[in-house]
Amino acid sequence: MAFFEQEIHDAPKTFLSKYVFSFDHKVIGKQFLWYGIAFLGLGGMMAMMIRWTLAFPGEAFPIFGHFLFPATNGVVPPDTYAMLFTLHGTIMIFYAITPILIGAFGNFCIPLMIGARDMVFPTLNMLSFWLAVLSAVILVASLFTPLGGAAGGWVSYPTLSTLIGSPGVGQTLWCLAIFVLGVSSTMGAVNYIATIITLRAPGMGYFDMPLTVWGLWLTAVLNALFLPVLGAGVLLLVFDRVFGTTFFLAGAAATSGSGDPVLFQHVFWIFGHPEVYILILPAWGIVSDLLAFFARKPAFGAKATALSMTTITVLSTVVYGHHMYTTQMSPLLTQSFMMLTMTISIPSAIFFANWLGTLWKGSIRFQTPMLFALGVVFVFGLGGLTGLYLATVSTDLYLHDTYFVVGHFHYTMAASVLLGGFAATYFWFPKMFGRMLNETLGKVHFWISMLGLNGVFMGMMIVGYAGMHRRIYNPYVYEFLQKLIPINMFITYSAIFMGFGQLFFVYNFVYSIWKGPKASQNPWEVGTLEWTIPSPAPHYNFDVIPVVKCGPHEMGNPNLKGRDFQYQTEELA
Amino acid sequence: MAQAMANLATKTMSESDQGKEIVFSVAMIVVLVSFAMLFATLMMGFAMFRFTAPVWPPAGMVKPSLILPGISTLFIILSSIAFIWFEKDTANKKGLILTISLGVGFMLTQSLFWHQLKSNGIFVSSGIFPSIIYAFTWIHAAHIIVALGLLLWLLFSPTLSTTTKSKLRATSVGKFWHFLGIVWLIMFLTIFVL
Repeated sequence: MAFFEQEIHDAPKTFLSKYVFSFDHKVIGKQFLWYGIAFLGLGGMMAMMIRWTLAFPGEAFPIFGHFLFPATNGVVPPDTYAMLFTLHGTIMIFYAITPILIGAFGNFCIPLMIGARDMVFPTLNMLSFWLAVLSAVILVASLFTPLGGAAGGWVSYPTLSTLIGSPGVGQTLWCLAIFVLGVSSTMGAVNYIATIITLRAPGMGYFDMPLTVWGLWLTAVLNALFLPVLGAGVLLLVFDRVFGTTFFLAGAAATSGSGDPVLFQHVFWIFGHPEVYILILPAWGIVSDLLAFFARKPAFGAKATALSMTTITVLSTVVYGHHMYTTQMSPLLTQSFMMLTMTISIPSAIFFANWLGTLWKGSIRFQTPMLFALGVVFVFGLGGLTGLYLATVSTDLYLHDTYFVVGHFHYTMAASVLLGGFAATYFWFPKMFGRMLNETLGKVHFWISMLGLNGVFMGMMIVGYAGMHRRIYNPYVYEFLQKLIPINMFITYSAIFMGFGQLFFVYNFVYSIWKGPKASQNPWEVGTLEWTIPSPAPHYNFDVIPVVKCGPHEMGNPNLKGRDFQYQTEELA
Repeated sequence: MAQAMANLATKTMSESDQGKEIVFSVAMIVVLVSFAMLFATLMMGFAMFRFTAPVWPPAGMVKPSLILPGISTLFIILSSIAFIWFEKDTANKKGLILTISLGVGFMLTQSLFWHQLKSNGIFVSSGIFPSIIYAFTWIHAAHIIVALGLLLWLLFSPTLSTTTKSKLRATSVGKFWHFLGIVWLIMFLTIFVL
């Protein structure tokens, strides 16, 4: 299958070529991992400030408050609150989850799992990372501009994001940062797609690829197709802000010759709905693989899982209208979008059933990656099911822009994707750094995260159903919401609990990189190609390009002698 | 004919070169689809304004004269043809030089066009119709400048006609150049003519 064999390059010698401007997909993957974890911390701190404000309005934020907000005696001011939720969303989606799942594990896993020596365009790969760094610098710099960072919501709808709504330069920098990041991700996507099509090891058909690679590949396709759409949108927004074009200015186009704010919503959601699948597809793929690996069984209906993920990828491009039911869309359109959205539950149900089928009668090993993978099954189930209420027009008109929406997308995007990312980190850590993470700390981390995030997001759904709107600085100015203060305090305590739980991960991660026990070549006893080479993977990956003879999850076969798994390079027993 | 060409290609190229050709064409398909989505989004925005307006151009605007955009169109079509001529024999750089000159000519007529709009009192902030004309031609021109840079890079590449990789680079840059020509044709027809 491989269309040509990549040469083995000499190992880089200088610090710069080895750790900074590296062409090696594994190093770039690790760079993206650090980048993502750093922004996860920043976005998490912002979430804490948001939660603190909602639970204890008018009280100073503990510890940092007086330092960050001296003018208000440590209380988060209303305009900063708007900036916080805007940048929390932006950072978590574009700068934390995308780099961790797509940047880090996409780069690290794709060549290793398909038996290639590197990505097909290593220079493009390096450029992609450094553009992402440039974008991060622009975004962080926007925090230090006179009127602060962007504050128009992560969706940055006009007129909130035009000069009328956000006069500061922060919003312009936000648009530029997103544009640069879009270019970076598109470069990555070109690389991923080309690599998977042309560099699969001999004998590896598409259905012999691990489902992780399937997920990452479909993600890359969506990225390549839809990031340019957002790019065009923010470019026109920048033109509106800087050069005075009138694309998104309110007013009737025919009479005053000005633009239409709703156009931006269309453009944004044409990108935005595929984006949620961009985030979740790698996590689905990783979980589908991990469930099989740790249940010691072949993935149930792996082909059906791959095909249903493909179906979802296709369907995800035609459902964006369900984000816009309240924009005076014609009922014909809202109902069409409702039907199409509901259709997604069919392929989702197929692979969800396949996950359960994989677990059924497996001899499950409850190691940390498996705990996180099982966590994804649980939280994605909840997140997916609550999506149905938002897809239905009649219920959405009530739930639109309430905390129910916030709870729903945090269950799917934050909880599922984050737990999937942690599962991947615990699983591939030995191959990345050649050492093992501590299992006990990992399990403590899992249970604290699981309990904490369910407390937070379940609570959000309840307050949302009770009518609490999102993006309000102080909801308790409304009398009917005052009774929700205790449950909001519960959500905040859960968030703090979960936040402190992440310290276990940070300690475990940093400690284990240098001091963890050395990992063997195949600590999890699984058969995909990356486990046929030493840990950590050498810079050329494969000395001899492997020849693939069976699927990725051939486990628990009674014909196997002495072990319950076989490598993909071995004939099916 | 195409079959004969393909047979000839397999005979003269090693297997690894053929593999690289596939890699480049797969990558170029993805790249061009990405760029196409960018321009398609712009065209979608244009279509929305165009079809919801009872009168077009709105607010008493008049369409700009077709002379300069017409010359631009002519330049970009000729430059694509020049590039096809160059691709037939990459050792002869005359075709490449002609492509670049015509591309620069395109940029010059575009600048004259912007100047003409400005001297007619049509500024970028004068409403949706000038917004569309300016913004779309700017975005297209930015791509043309990048593509001209790539063409110059080809021109000064010493290994242009010797290695397979350079030939593949030339083909890929050419695909991008033709793509920008097609985008301009679509923009010319929809925004200026119709």
